[in-house]
Amino acid sequence: MSSVMNALSYQHFPIYAIMVLFLGAFLIVVFGGNRTARNILALLSITASLAFILALVKPVMWDGEIIAYWMGGRVPAGGYAIGIALEVDALSLFFALLVSVAVFVSGVYSIQYMRHDDNEREYYTLFLMLGGGVMGLVLSGDLFNMFIMVEILTFAAVALTAFRNTAKGALEAAFKYLVVGSIGSTCILVGTSMLYAQAHTLNLAQLAQVIPGNLNTATKVAFALLFVGFGTKAFIVPFHPLAADAHGAAPASISVMISGVLTKSGIYGIIRLTYFLFQTMNLGTMQFLLVFIGSLSMFVCVTMALAQHDFKRLLAFHSISQIGYVLTAVGLCTALGVSAGLYHAMNHTLFKGLLFLAAGAVLHETGTTDLGKLGGLSKKMPYTTVLFLIGAFSISGIPPFNGFASKWMIYQATYQKAVESGNIGFLLVTIIALVTSVLTLASFVKVSQSVFFGQLPRELENVKEVPFGMRFAMAIFALLCVLTGLFPNLVTTYITEPAARAVFSVAQYIGAMGFDASGVAAETAVSFAHVGVWEPISWLLILCIALLSVTIVAVASKYDRVSQCSGEAVDSKYELFYGGEAQEFSQVGGGDLFWGFKHNWRGYFDVMHRLHSGVVNDYALWAVVDLALVLLFSLIVL
Amino acid sequence: MIMLNYIASFFLITLGLYTIVTKHNLVKTVIGLSIADYGVNLLLISIGFNPGGTAPIFTWSELNPASFFVDPIPQALTLTSIVIGACVTAMSLALVIKLEEQYGTTDTREIRRLHG
Amino acid sequence: MTIVITALQYLGYVLIFPGFLFCFLAGMLLCGIDRKLVAKMQKRVGPPILQPFYDFFKLCGKETIIPASASKTTFLMAPLVGLAALVVIQLFIPVFSFSAFSGMADVIVILYLLLIPAMSIILGGAASGSPYAGVGLSREMVTIISCELPLVLVLLAVAKTVGSAMGTGLCFSLSDIAAYQAMNGSLITKLSMIPAAVAMLLIIPGETGNHPFDAAEAETEICEGLLAEYSGAPLGVFKLSHAIKMLTLTSLFVALFLGGLGTGIVALDGIILFLLCVVLTAVSISFVHAITARLKIEQIFKFYWTLVTGLALISLVLAWYGL
Repeated sequence: MSSVMNALSYQHFPIYAIMVLFLGAFLIVVFGGNRTARNILALLSITASLAFILALVKPVMWDGEIIAYWMGGRVPAGGYAIGIALEVDALSLFFALLVSVAVFVSGVYSIQYMRHDDNEREYYTLFLMLGGGVMGLVLSGDLFNMFIMVEILTFAAVALTAFRNTAKGALEAAFKYLVVGSIGSTCILVGTSMLYAQAHTLNLAQLAQVIPGNLNTATKVAFALLFVGFGTKAFIVPFHPLAADAHGAAPASISVMISGVLTKSGIYGIIRLTYFLFQTMNLGTMQFLLVFIGSLSMFVCVTMALAQHDFKRLLAFHSISQIGYVLTAVGLCTALGVSAGLYHAMNHTLFKGLLFLAAGAVLHETGTTDLGKLGGLSKKMPYTTVLFLIGAFSISGIPPFNGFASKWMIYQATYQKAVESGNIGFLLVTIIALVTSVLTLASFVKVSQSVFFGQLPRELENVKEVPFGMRFAMAIFALLCVLTGLFPNLVTTYITEPAARAVFSVAQYIGAMGFDASGVAAETAVSFAHVGVWEPISWLLILCIALLSVTIVAVASKYDRVSQCSGEAVDSKYELFYGGEAQEFSQVGGGDLFWGFKHNWRGYFDVMHRLHSGVVNDYALWAVVDLALVLLFSLIVL
Repeated sequence: MIMLNYIASFFLITLGLYTIVTKHNLVKTVIGLSIADYGVNLLLISIGFNPGGTAPIFTWSELNPASFFVDPIPQALTLTSIVIGACVTAMSLALVIKLEEQYGTTDTREIRRLHG
Repeated sequence: MTIVITALQYLGYVLIFPGFLFCFLAGMLLCGIDRKLVAKMQKRVGPPILQPFYDFFKLCGKETIIPASASKTTFLMAPLVGLAALVVIQLFIPVFSFSAFSGMADVIVILYLLLIPAMSIILGGAASGSPYAGVGLSREMVTIISCELPLVLVLLAVAKTVGSAMGTGLCFSLSDIAAYQAMNGSLITKLSMIPAAVAMLLIIPGETGNHPFDAAEAETEICEGLLAEYSGAPLGVFKLSHAIKMLTLTSLFVALFLGGLGTGIVALDGIILFLLCVVLTAVSISFVHAITARLKIEQIFKFYWTLVTGLALISLVLAWYGL
């Protein structure tokens, strides 16, 4: 009896959360021949995983406990970690929460979305492997384990990218992703082995104890390798073209996973690497590295997105642009910055998931995501349109949706950092962030004009709304987008601030695993104070009152006394205004919008277009050059 | 002696990366990935090597402070890495076959429908 | 009982001052004065000052026609949402020392709240399905992008100036900015704020879409762009929103640069604010309107991202070094 009770203790929940996903993958291979069995198995395992993670929120996030779990009870002997460990602090749990929510919603969506595909069994197997891989990565307390999980998730992601291998570019995208992803994984492995050679341990906590005091050339090289390796997983510049290819070609439910979950795993790796393993974030130069790459990612990718004419590819570039925000905020190394960055990471999972699902819904019904071939879908797919608009407003940072709340914190964090450090460079970052936000808005205006509004092409006359299961999945994300936007204080207090505090509590992280943390600087007092004021609930209340009064006046004055033209049978009293010509189809295509902006930047766009050549050798070269630069950087400044 | 291993392993990794960057044939790209992988394996196994050490196979009673053996952990890592490397090769070759069917070429410069 | 009174008081703020009634009257008057001034500058007689009121009520009495390709709900709701959002922004901008709700949102929030009316007109236009609206939408969005960068710089410069003077480093809260100006005089008297104020004056016509930055609605070319398909009451509401937007931006200018001129008596302050808005409208909208021809969209973008941004940047750098 006691062993049963023991097995139900929440100490075991992290490993259960990982295991149920992998177990689900295995069981689907064995018993998944039948659709019902397959769906039930998949739903069971994602629900169970979500439940295990949710059960951990109270002890880990709110009570501040750090779960140190040694597999098979092999605790450290003689001061050295010999077993494989899971270590779950608030930061890990934060990312695990994102993963499990995204996996859950994406899984629910898949059931309707993938039912017309062949090989559904393989799909769910890979899907759960991908989820399990990311879950394992963020909960792991062991560097080599992280590498294994990175490989599992890269593998599953590549296979799923190529899943619809008849779709345009799917195989190509998968191959490019595999090549550059493997370079990244190789970097992680080499870095891991070099750290092992220096520190003789693979345990993260012990590495964090040993490395910072003993930096030498080998560990510096290892830093660069690991940084670049996790960078490829987060798709930050210069790896963003792969994200665009992979997200664009994969099924929508997988794009949600890649952008909402996989990129986060890269960010998680970078945070662990810089804040924990090397503890170098208090160096101004390290902050510069992260903030620079982050700002570059957000700006380059948003401009690339403006030039896209494929719905999903455009979303993919935005995805990396938003990751740029996260990295920038995290790189500030202030409590407010980290909290804002994590908040944005969470919001990014939600709104980008929603947008990809909306894109998937459009693809599901119309068979294309080419912006030039779509239009006017708001009349045929009203629910999808509303849900898409919620996502679009969220990502563009329109109040009161969640993107605004987190971006607003990021602006303040960067500006506050600029003022505190007296460094005018951070001011530039604030400006870039603000301008990126409006460019994001611009490209979503383009999408809404060329997909949901405008005129309906004749070929799309018979389009229907997507089935309930898909709408339900989108509605979950939409609801979360609204809620996290309306209650920013609750979100920061209960979710992001504990996680941000964990980032600054390296000593506890080391101590929880039973290692001596006396050499590490104790937790500094972290302050989440910010100067801005924003009360979304009051604002919404006032807006509702205002809107209500406007509407009452409007209805009272017969505002809705309207006559809708039907196209053919025009009321004879309007004939005066017609020359008798038939109505033509004339839609302003997505590619033609924002001409005034693009015209002034044509030089920049030309260069960018040539750089993103689509040749895998070029992308590999970028990876190598990036590696060389980061190597040089870390050898000089660390 | 062990230095030579390190040099060789980094040479292999560099050679692999060089192949990936410069060769325009899909199969050669895959070969490049494998070469880099072998380099990493060599590095891993060299890290765990102690000159004169025995194989790290002991029972608890045999183990004493004087026993001198090579580090077993990198060997375990190497095994894992070899398996992963094989998977990468298998998967990428499968993709190459499919790509050749769809595009009719294995030249990377022509496989760029997704760009810009 | 007190709750009811407080609620009524806030309802009064929303509906009467500085909410709907004030916005409606002041915005429309501002619009009328602008038209009269432009006419006078061009040696025309011009419409009577109350003409916008007549136009509005006339439009409200007209029939609304929805094009066949439009999505009805979005098409009809967009003007109302835009109007409501604008009025809420006006509530957040303090009238000198009197602030109805200005403790609830800072300048960065205002910057983003200003996007909501713009979005509503863009989505309304897009929902009409007209190709003219498509072109208009593209131009409107580019105009927004153009104005955004200099506006951001202006706001950051103000935040820095007030913040370093108050010792907090930076200050985003509009009521704090108002309080600071009430104590230390208007910000425009500071050397570093003068370029920012000039930049802001140039931003106002761009944000409101007035001549010469009205490529988005260019009547002669693309038939009012986004508004091409609008008729009747919805069109009237958009015209009203446009008028209120002039009021909002000019009173934002007053709040940022001309604070501290208030008397403390709310009714009097409201009149002073309105008079200042009239002066600012005359300078930044009517005068510019009268002497320039409409710019092409890429010229608008270039103008804002070079000249106006440059001015704002000078101001920001000066503020950074505490001048």
